[in-house]
Amino acid sequence: MINMKKINIKKDISIESLVVSLLVSVMTIMLISLFLNFDVVSGSIGTEIISINADTTGTANAVTSVVTYFRGFDTLGEVTILFLSIFGIGLGLEGYKDKLNIFAYENRLLKTAVDTLFPLIILFGFYVIIHGHLSPGGGFQGGVIIASAFLLMFLAKNDDFALNHKIMGLIEALSGASFILIGLLGLLIMNRFFDNFLPLGTLGNLFSGGIIPLIYIFVGLKVSAEITALVEYFIRIKDVK
Amino acid sequence: MIGLIILSIFITLIILAVLIISNEDLPHSVILFMGFGLGSVILFFLFSAPDVALTEAVIGTGVSGVVFLVTLLQIRSKEVNR
Repeated sequence: MINMKKINIKKDISIESLVVSLLVSVMTIMLISLFLNFDVVSGSIGTEIISINADTTGTANAVTSVVTYFRGFDTLGEVTILFLSIFGIGLGLEGYKDKLNIFAYENRLLKTAVDTLFPLIILFGFYVIIHGHLSPGGGFQGGVIIASAFLLMFLAKNDDFALNHKIMGLIEALSGASFILIGLLGLLIMNRFFDNFLPLGTLGNLFSGGIIPLIYIFVGLKVSAEITALVEYFIRIKDVK
Repeated sequence: MIGLIILSIFITLIILAVLIISNEDLPHSVILFMGFGLGSVILFFLFSAPDVALTEAVIGTGVSGVVFLVTLLQIRSKEVNR
């Protein structure tokens, strides 16, 4: 004897589960249609990008246009990874910011040289950032160069040199927000995330390439603030007394 | 000629890597690690990747070496305090 249980359809199927299953099936159909319509580029994608680079992005450095234009979303992910790692270090080393514990001895040579070297290294860092679309380099490299200038300052000046953490945080947050804002503006105006909505200019000029120099300036500011914070976290220690 | 240079840098890098692992003194092996970074900068440049070479020159030779050294010094100063 099988006891047939009456199934209460109204009780088992709620409106929420219906809506969710409908949405999931619609998204599945969209995904399948996207996969079916995706035309694979014959040959290698590298030659394709290099051949259309000068016309679409107006930059002389094809590597830069891959990083910021063709794969701009990946760069956003990389910037997020860097931000999260610095965030984790900040959580782990919180409280270790009381005083410098290393290089306690005086180094006359470093102290004299750093006053001349500091502005020069900062200038070189900004040069690498701003010329990212013309020559090798760009936001990440220039940002780390600027951070290395601050590292030199920390080593030479000991406790005489302190960062304004409010301004550092402001620079980091504003540059990150404007980086995403540029991508959203591209989505709004040109229907593609990180698309070029500014005039391209002539190939090889400093003011060319549309949004690419802007993106690199913001990435450079963000990276320099983050790496400087990382270096400061590492070279300071908790006052154990 | 370029092939010979690249081959010699490869061999130097392998020797440096063995020295880095086998060194008893940790600050010494960090300095050797920075030298390893310098060799790989030359390799990246010769393999026509100047962007990567610039990144490696700043991060591999500069910042990461200093961060390693500073961490070692911090650990030692804590051991001395206890």
